[in-house]
Amino acid sequence: MAKNNNAFYNQYTIEEYYINKEPFYLPVADEIQLFEAAYNGQIPILLKGPTGTGKTRFVEYMAWRLSRPLAIVKNNQDKEANAKNRIPLITIACHEDLTASDLVGRYLLDAEGTRWMDGPLARAFKYGAICYLDEIVEARKDTTVLIHPLADHRRTLPVEKQGIVLEAKKGFQLVISYNPGYQSALKDLKESTRQRFIAIEFSPPPPEVEAEIIRKESGCTSAHARSLAKLGEKVRNLRDHGLKEGASTRVLIYAGKLISQGISPKRACHVAVVWGITDDAEVQRSVEEIVTAIFAD
Amino acid sequence: MQQPLDNDHFAKADEHPAELQHSLKESRQVLQVIFNQKELTLWENEAIAMANHSTRSWEATVEFVSSSTQVAKYLPFSSFLQWARSGSYLTKDSATLGAAYFRVGPEAVKHIQPNNLSRWAALGRSLYKGTWKSSTLSTSFFDLSPSLLKALSFPDLETFTNLIESLSARSYDLAGECLTIGNTVLGSMGRERSSFLILWQTLSENSWRDIKGVLETYESSVSGIDEPLRNRFLSLTNLLVLHGAKDTPRFLAQGGSALGTLKTVEQEHILDLCERLLKRSPTSVAAFLNNLSVVINRVSMPQLDFWFDHGVGILSENPEGGLAYFKLESKTSEQMLEGLSSSIALEGISNLLHLYCSGLSGSDIEVKESSTLAGKNLGWVSADIATTEGKNVYLPAMMDVFPTKKGNFDWYKVVSTHQVARLEFGSFDFSYDRPSTQFNDLRPSRALPSSSFAVEKEDQWITDMGHYFSQFDNRRIALDIFTTFEDARLGFLIKHEYPGIKSSYNSIQKHAVSLRPQIKALPVQQAIMEILVQFSLDEYTNLLVPRKYSKAIRVLAKLQRCLLDPIAKIEDTAESALRAYNIITKIPNEPDDDWQEEDFDSDDQFSDDELSEIIKELDDMNSEDPVQDIEYASPDAVDFRGDFKPELVQTLNKLREGTGMSADGDQQELDQDQLEQLLKDNPEMSEIDNKDMDFAALFAQNMLREAGLTQATSQAGQGFGPMQHVEESGGELDTKEPKTYVYNEWDFRAGDYKPKWCIVREKTVEEGESAFFNETTQKYASLLLDVRRQFELVMPEGFRKLRRQPDGDDFDFDAATEAMIDLRSGITPSEKVYWFRNKQERDVSVVFLLDMSASTAEAIDEGKPINHAMDAPKDPVEYMTWLRSRREGLVRRQYKRIIDLEKEGVALLMQALESIGDVYGIYGFSGYGRENVEFYVIKDIEESLTDGVKKRIDKISPLHATRMGPAIRHATTKLSRQDTKTKILFLISDGRPQDRGYSREGVEKEYAVHDTHMALIEARRLGIIPFCLTVDKTGHDYLKTMCGDMEYEVLDEISMLPHRLPHLYRKLTI
Repeated sequence: MAKNNNAFYNQYTIEEYYINKEPFYLPVADEIQLFEAAYNGQIPILLKGPTGTGKTRFVEYMAWRLSRPLAIVKNNQDKEANAKNRIPLITIACHEDLTASDLVGRYLLDAEGTRWMDGPLARAFKYGAICYLDEIVEARKDTTVLIHPLADHRRTLPVEKQGIVLEAKKGFQLVISYNPGYQSALKDLKESTRQRFIAIEFSPPPPEVEAEIIRKESGCTSAHARSLAKLGEKVRNLRDHGLKEGASTRVLIYAGKLISQGISPKRACHVAVVWGITDDAEVQRSVEEIVTAIFAD
Repeated sequence: MQQPLDNDHFAKADEHPAELQHSLKESRQVLQVIFNQKELTLWENEAIAMANHSTRSWEATVEFVSSSTQVAKYLPFSSFLQWARSGSYLTKDSATLGAAYFRVGPEAVKHIQPNNLSRWAALGRSLYKGTWKSSTLSTSFFDLSPSLLKALSFPDLETFTNLIESLSARSYDLAGECLTIGNTVLGSMGRERSSFLILWQTLSENSWRDIKGVLETYESSVSGIDEPLRNRFLSLTNLLVLHGAKDTPRFLAQGGSALGTLKTVEQEHILDLCERLLKRSPTSVAAFLNNLSVVINRVSMPQLDFWFDHGVGILSENPEGGLAYFKLESKTSEQMLEGLSSSIALEGISNLLHLYCSGLSGSDIEVKESSTLAGKNLGWVSADIATTEGKNVYLPAMMDVFPTKKGNFDWYKVVSTHQVARLEFGSFDFSYDRPSTQFNDLRPSRALPSSSFAVEKEDQWITDMGHYFSQFDNRRIALDIFTTFEDARLGFLIKHEYPGIKSSYNSIQKHAVSLRPQIKALPVQQAIMEILVQFSLDEYTNLLVPRKYSKAIRVLAKLQRCLLDPIAKIEDTAESALRAYNIITKIPNEPDDDWQEEDFDSDDQFSDDELSEIIKELDDMNSEDPVQDIEYASPDAVDFRGDFKPELVQTLNKLREGTGMSADGDQQELDQDQLEQLLKDNPEMSEIDNKDMDFAALFAQNMLREAGLTQATSQAGQGFGPMQHVEESGGELDTKEPKTYVYNEWDFRAGDYKPKWCIVREKTVEEGESAFFNETTQKYASLLLDVRRQFELVMPEGFRKLRRQPDGDDFDFDAATEAMIDLRSGITPSEKVYWFRNKQERDVSVVFLLDMSASTAEAIDEGKPINHAMDAPKDPVEYMTWLRSRREGLVRRQYKRIIDLEKEGVALLMQALESIGDVYGIYGFSGYGRENVEFYVIKDIEESLTDGVKKRIDKISPLHATRMGPAIRHATTKLSRQDTKTKILFLISDGRPQDRGYSREGVEKEYAVHDTHMALIEARRLGIIPFCLTVDKTGHDYLKTMCGDMEYEVLDEISMLPHRLPHLYRKLTI
């Protein structure tokens, strides 16, 4: 439940963070069915794909979708009951200093001595939440190994320091995401980790779908949305020509938002796309030429 | 038969050969008429006296006697006698000379004042120095005299002869050649002759060797210069020579031809500038004029003034810099020109356009100069028109039609967008069987090959496009309509899909319209084609049309409008072209004089009924009087749309894919004859003499090669071409070969870079034996162990546990306990109660640059040749064998060279580096001249230590010279691509940098040191730590300049190199 401790911001404990409103998500293929099937079959999921292709949004959408009451709500009590079915979404952004204790938990000092505090992974385990480890390759390999026992049939989490083993509550779902774009020998997923997941691949949506997403998300006109989608497509063509990744749908949406706020399209694409995606002057110039070709003003 | 003279004479004459007697007799008969008796006697006396000079003087006398008859007609007797006497003197000196003198007499006297006769003879005489070579020279002087006398005034001739004489003091051969060439060159000169002679005079005093070259190139070089200005140009040249300018012929040729391309006023202006510049720096004038053509190609006259003034400014501050500026060897100059000129060179933007086109089309499209495609001889012939062959986009090398840079750039952008549009919007994807979107298809369906018969092989290779065109009787017209319609479709789609480019596209269309020919001047059929072209350029209003066919044109306009729809495809183009063809071929190609202006911008819809109606009308109109048609000619190409050859591209694509499938599915190879036939049927190929078998064969062969269907015959000069020799004085270098890189060079006197000065050629060292590597490892086993231990010591520091941290992995229990105690006893506890693993990883990449110059072959003191006499076998036979084998080098070289130590050091270091996992590359460099800096890859920075790499070390050997600058720059480029925190450039050399031309004027060695210094500074600017290690004990002096405040070390004991190298490296990186 949301605790409004302070009038200025909302604060939730992590296991009480639910997705209450339906996030906008436009399926490209059968990813929703796959996710549902995996959820029911207790199979961990690996989301693969470049940045800004909707991985995080998809997880949010699925958390919402899976929390949806199956029966139609008749009265307030039932609503309360349904609330219990809701699945919290715990997102952990992985970084290279992420240690095992950051995930599982650690002793903290307080006035009385030490106090154990569960890490997000343990909490997700206990509450049956969807635990989303974003950019898993950024974490150190020794940390990654930690998820092995909970990502196979065992679904257990040993907490050495407390000398206990946690068993996953029903509904616990592990989702990790990973961007193969930065593939370097250092930042690759271990084979043994990889093979504990089913992989759903994300790629930039086709132009019509993308235009629809941009329009919906940014609130710009559909003509602008189409042009932005076209720009996205053209810029993605430049991958391997000095661009690691093309313009993501996210930056296109940003551009769309700026346009709908009254910024001129060219300028909006400049700040959102051209300068955002690369620092190479020549590539910037080329993308700019594409922008000026697509947008008239 | 003859009148007897007095006996004495007669007797003397009698002694002479019959030839002389005979000609005497004959001439006398003629002369009797002209001379009186006294004169005749005098003449005869003269002849006899002459003949008696010497044994061979009769030969000259014969010439005298026979010439006399002619000469006597032109000269009064007194002058005649003078002519004879002068000749007689000459004959005394040399009979041959005399003979030559007399022989040309009849011709020469026509062009000479009688009072100059003796001076003329004296001129010839002055060339004669008593040797046979001089006599040849003098003889040819007389031989050329008639034409010389005719063309030159006598004072000029005197000067000329003097000049030849002074030249003959250097070389008779040269003088002879100059005499001959000078005769023609001077002869054709106008008033500038005197200036030229002055220049010659100067040259002969300062650089006589250039004279011949000047003479040879003179005519071609000044031909463009306005005649009155030639004087000025020559006096300018003269002054330059006086100031010590070298290579006058080249200067004349380049400066002259550059001047020649200008208008008279501009020529005058340039000469003004030169004279201004002359006061400051004569050498700069030469540089300026030599490069004039480059400069005027890029900028206009007023811009040139601006550029020039800037150069003069630099000159007054820094003469060397100014000189480099005018030589175009300074970056400032280059940037200045670039900034001033509105023209755009493709070279500068090709990468940009490459990305742009690749972005638009989604496939990897290279942007190249049109000439490269024309050079492939595949059927595209024009070297300066944009086009595409389905894979790449070809554009002209330079654009300066528009007055601004932006205008020219926009042109490039529009053109490349148009070419890419052909790929993006499927101009080459025509499929015969695919239905169109706007029409009811009229294309007759393709007869399916009956399965029982094998299809002709050729047929499988006919493209859909080819099949389409084969439906038409007049393929030429069909192709013209098709391409025009398709371009109209593309133009529309581009503006529709890329609204941002619309305004530039429109203005370029407008520009193209302004270049179109007068419709009225064309015969009707061509006029209608021209109208179609203008439609395609969005010109629909105020068009002059033949009144008779106004209705037909209206239908054509509607047909084309059908294509201006976002969903129209190439098949629609085909359908509308088919209909337009039916109309246009009904119209005779005859002149017309009934024109009216009309607009065609209505939005009416086309219908097939309308078409049949108009065709019927046209049939009726032209049925009665068949007029003699003018042969149809294609409309002029629209330059920005370039060359469009859909069928050729389809053929080429088909060849590339090899998709010729026979009926039973077997792939059939197309042979050259069949391809030739295909090409000959292709209407696109008719630009170059369509029926010419040889062209078809050539194209067919090249197309097969392009498609990779035949083994390309490897020709010399492809790939790694022969080593070019480029003069040091030459300009910028450019290279298109793979693995070659161009770098600037620093000229410290000019204080500026010489742009694109050196070519670095990257080569991989060939593999030798891996024994060297292993032996070294064994030999230095203990040292290696030590080094490794030291290196490994570096490692754990990275993973040390740091205690008492404010934040960390877990509690530091000691600290935590203390904190608890503090807390209990009421003291504020320390917050630092965690431990933390410091995972500061080593993040180092390093490039070792080895000097592989010839000097590294030098032996070092340690282990002197041990094959001294002591080892010699006692037995004489064995001794001989030993000696021979030693001479042949069969005895293993026992002494060590510097390079061997370098190799050992590197081998050791490699092992050490492997143990700590630093990224490293090892390269060697050498080379000869700025166009050939060799950069040897021993281990590329991304490569891992394979056996191949180990074997390469063995083959490191001393090669040529040491041009350090470009090698350092190339290594810097490689390092800068690395993504590590620490980057090190480790230079190991044995002496100062030196190379051919790696100095100023061949003497100032400091140049090389400064360039190297600059290269090192460049590296440091990119965050690279340079370090120089040298084994040259005398290195301290120049290393100070070369390295500045950067670190370096001079190794006192060369043999310490293998020991020292790993230590130094370790010190550097910790």
